Order: sequence, then structure tokens, then C-alpha cells
Amino acid sequence: MEYLSTDKILVIDLATSKIEETALDESLVSEKIGGAGITKHLYEKHLNDDPIVIGTGLLTGTTCPASASGLITAKSPVTGKMCHCPVIYKVGIEIKFSGYDYIVVKGVSDKPVYLWIHDGVADISDASGIWGKDVWESTDSLRKFMGDDLLQTMMIGKAGENRSDYAQICYNYWSSPDRFGLGKLFGSKKLKALAFRGMGLIEVADHENFVRRSLEILKEIKTNDFMTKKGIAEIASAMGEAGVEEWLEPIVHRHSADYFTPYATNTAVFLDEDPKRVEESKVAEPGVLISDVLALLAFKKLGLSAEDAGRALKACAKYGIDPAAVAELSGKSSLKEIVDSFDGLSGTVTLKGKGSFSPWCPLKPIFNDFGLSGDAAEAEAWWERRQAVAMIFGIQPIFSVMCPELSEENMLELAAIGTELDLTQEILDRVVADLLK
Amino acid sequence: MGIKIDALKCINCMACEMACSYHRDDGFAFLSACIVVYRAREKQDYFGVLIKEEEFLKVARPEGLEVNRIGEAADPNKKADASVKPMLLREGCDLCEDMDDYGPMCIAICPVDAITLE
Repeated sequence: MEYLSTDKILVIDLATSKIEETALDESLVSEKIGGAGITKHLYEKHLNDDPIVIGTGLLTGTTCPASASGLITAKSPVTGKMCHCPVIYKVGIEIKFSGYDYIVVKGVSDKPVYLWIHDGVADISDASGIWGKDVWESTDSLRKFMGDDLLQTMMIGKAGENRSDYAQICYNYWSSPDRFGLGKLFGSKKLKALAFRGMGLIEVADHENFVRRSLEILKEIKTNDFMTKKGIAEIASAMGEAGVEEWLEPIVHRHSADYFTPYATNTAVFLDEDPKRVEESKVAEPGVLISDVLALLAFKKLGLSAEDAGRALKACAKYGIDPAAVAELSGKSSLKEIVDSFDGLSGTVTLKGKGSFSPWCPLKPIFNDFGLSGDAAEAEAWWERRQAVAMIFGIQPIFSVMCPELSEENMLELAAIGTELDLTQEILDRVVADLLK
Repeated sequence: MGIKIDALKCINCMACEMACSYHRDDGFAFLSACIVVYRAREKQDYFGVLIKEEEFLKVARPEGLEVNRIGEAADPNKKADASVKPMLLREGCDLCEDMDDYGPMCIAICPVDAITLE
């Protein structure tokens, strides 16, 4: 596959330490487009080895607005079914620029390891030095070891190592969309982390037309009212949750976005530093970055102050545990009790949706109504399809439920321009139907 | 005329970096960009934008603009990022002189209009 691709699929067998590379066939892209369409294909191909398939969307890391997302496809320890977990922040694009479109991790290692994926090279490395450390210590340790503060990681903490049902794969230091207990799957394979870094070049078939259309779509997006807003509290307000902005505002530091995502979906709060400080903080760990609006709301509904909710989210991110599961199952309403509950957490979490896509993304349109009538079944079907399409093309999932200008037609057009393949609505409909069945 | 950056408006999305490198490489990469979002202080939530011009390295920090003449000794009180050092090997900003339809690509692509011409 020559365009919008590294043309490489990596298959790593943790049991034998064998690493193989294969080319990404253009025919597979013509049939499955990319992202979840292809990770599902690879998952089924390697099913007997309980695979974790990491991938990127066809548009990931391009000038298509919000082309930030990668994904992890695997069998969820929570649902027992195949799921697709978005890879956000800047981790999703780093997968592609590190040299691979898709990475299949199969088998079980006999000792703790991490995978170091860099500039088209993959290594299985000894993780004994970070096994037992929390997510933040481990990410710090790998970045220091590699001498690169921009190393992007997927990391488990103690929850994953201890095979908690609610263990979450974290990205760099932060919580992730993993509602599926994939941290437990990493832990059961003795896979502590994946670390990505690369300076690859992604070729585009008709680059001038691709960039021209990207900028036209961006121009349309910028007429949207949500472009005057920023951050996670405004998302909560748009979901109909009153009082979140006033509650959170006193500790908000800044808002930031995933790669080329026009709305800043992430909000950093400072807990041990003046939130109004603009100079670099001298405090090593002044706060936490929040991307999980539903977990934040769940802690608020337990009666926590915004500061304690931030501290709970920070503790969850360090431990590598799903904060939404903690809020739902701990039965506690004080910060100390919540943090002390991590080890003994038990029960069944409520996962909204059909279980294929992460309900970390709000299950309703945000800021725009997308022409929906308000019927619950219609909204659920719309959300499932919207997530499927986002995971095929590599679009930031929350942005996909707020931005009608990022239409299927526009994504298909960019994909066709970028690859010179005849990617039609019929093909997309078929891939989506396969993901939703 | 040069590039002006409002670091407090910046949302750390890296689109400018991609667009700048595209202008050099006609493909998607970050390798050749003369404008980069510096984001190495992730836990401190400290980010801004760095741009290399022909003679100057400009650092748009949240607290204000810092201009360094290339070749002069760096301020020993400022912590440097190893990942930013390759900037000095890259070509300086040419305001995308060959991009007639758009002007500077970093301005055209910034979703929050944090980058303008001065």
C-alpha cells in the first residue's frame, strides 16, 4: 500500500520472541478501508493466539481535521467480546510515524517485557526494571532511558499487573478510553507497555488536492459555534450536566487537543500548584490531564469536590485503573476511601452501547444535533455508526460526535484522493455493517 | 514580516508542525518543520510553539516571547529539550513563499487562529 500508509504490518509473538513484518496489501485496503476494518480482519486471522491488534485509521496523522486516533482491537476481559478502544492524545499518530500501520501482539511472554517500536524497527525489551512501578514512574523511566521526552506510550500500572478486571491501558501518563479492561489483557501477557517514536513520512497520492480539501473542510468546521468553546466542562454542559463549569473552573490550568483536533477535548487541572500560573511549574506533578468526561461526572455525582475528583483521577491514572469503574463500583464518597478501594474492587460495570466501541465517548451528539429526532434507538444506532466510521478513518471519537462537517462523504473523499483507490459509500457501508454485526 | 504566535491561544494540536513539514516534503511528516509545538513538559502541562527563522529561534512561551539569535550561547537558566535540538539543523521559515494559494501553511491550518502574520 503506497499511500497514507507505512505499508507495514508487524506481528510479534511474545511466546517465541519472533517478530515478522508483512506488507499491507492494497487489496485489503480496497476491501476494508482501514482502522477497525483491518484490525478486525487481523484479530480474526490470529484469533487462536488471543491477539491484541494495534492500528491506525486510513487518515490518521494527515491534514484531515481530527485525524488523531489509532485503536486497539482485542477481546475485552470485561465483556468477553471483541472491542475497539481508541488511542488518543498524540499516541495514535505516533504509531504510524514509528513505521507501522498495524501491530499484532500474540502469545504470552514468560517474563515482563515492553515493545519498543521506533522508525520501522521493533524490539522486545526486558521490562523487569519497570514491572511493579506505577504508570507515571514507568513512563518517566522509559523516557529517561531513551533520552526522549516525546516518547509515546501505552502503559499498564499495578491494576494490570495484578490482573484487575478494571485495569486500564493508559497513554503516557493519562487515563484512556479503555473501558474494556484491556490493561488486564496486557498484564496476562506480561506486556507492560508499548513505546512509540518515529519520524516517518507518509506519502499521499494527490497531495495538493488532499491538502486543499482538508483546508476547505477545516474552514467549514471553523464556522461552527463550538469553536468558541474549549475543554471538558463545556462538553459536560452540552451533555446537559449543569454546574460543571463553575465546579471545575477554579482548578483549570489549560485546555489541549489531540492531534489536529479543532476542539480542545482535554483539560488539565492543577491540584498542587496555582492553576493561573503561566510559567512552567516547578512542581514535578502539579495536576492531571482529564479526557474522561463521564468519569469526571461520576466522581462529581459521588459528592467529591473538583479538587478531590482531580486527585481521584490522578490516582486512577497512576494505578492504571478505569476511573469510571472505580466511581461506579467503589461505593465510596471520600477520596481516601475511593483510592483505598482499587485493590478490592469487584462487581459488574455498566457499559452503555453494544460493547464494541468505548462508551468513554458520550453516547449522544454534542453541540450539534446531527438532525436526530431525539428518539433513543435512533441516537444509539447513530452513535454506533459514528464510532465505527471514526475508528475506520482514525478520527478523534469525541470530535466525531460534535462535528457534522466531518461527514462520511468528506472522509471518503479524502481517503480516495489520498490513496487513488475507488473507496465508495457502498464499501464503507459494508465495512461498518461488518463491525456492527 | 514574520510569524506571530499566541501561545496562550495554542491548544497543542501540532497541526502547524504537520503543515510546515508538508510544505517541505509534499507528504505527511514532522521531520522538516521549522515550527514545532514544544510539549516535553507534559506533566507540567507546559506547552508553546518554537519557530526557527533564518537568524533567530523564537520561543512563544505562555508567559511571553523569547527571541534567541542562532549561534549565541543559550540562557543557562532555561532548561533545554533534547528533542528540540534538531531544530537548528532544519531550514528556517520562508513564509511558505511557494504556497501561492495559502500563504504560510501554519497560519492556514491552525484551527484556533493562534498563528498570524506580523
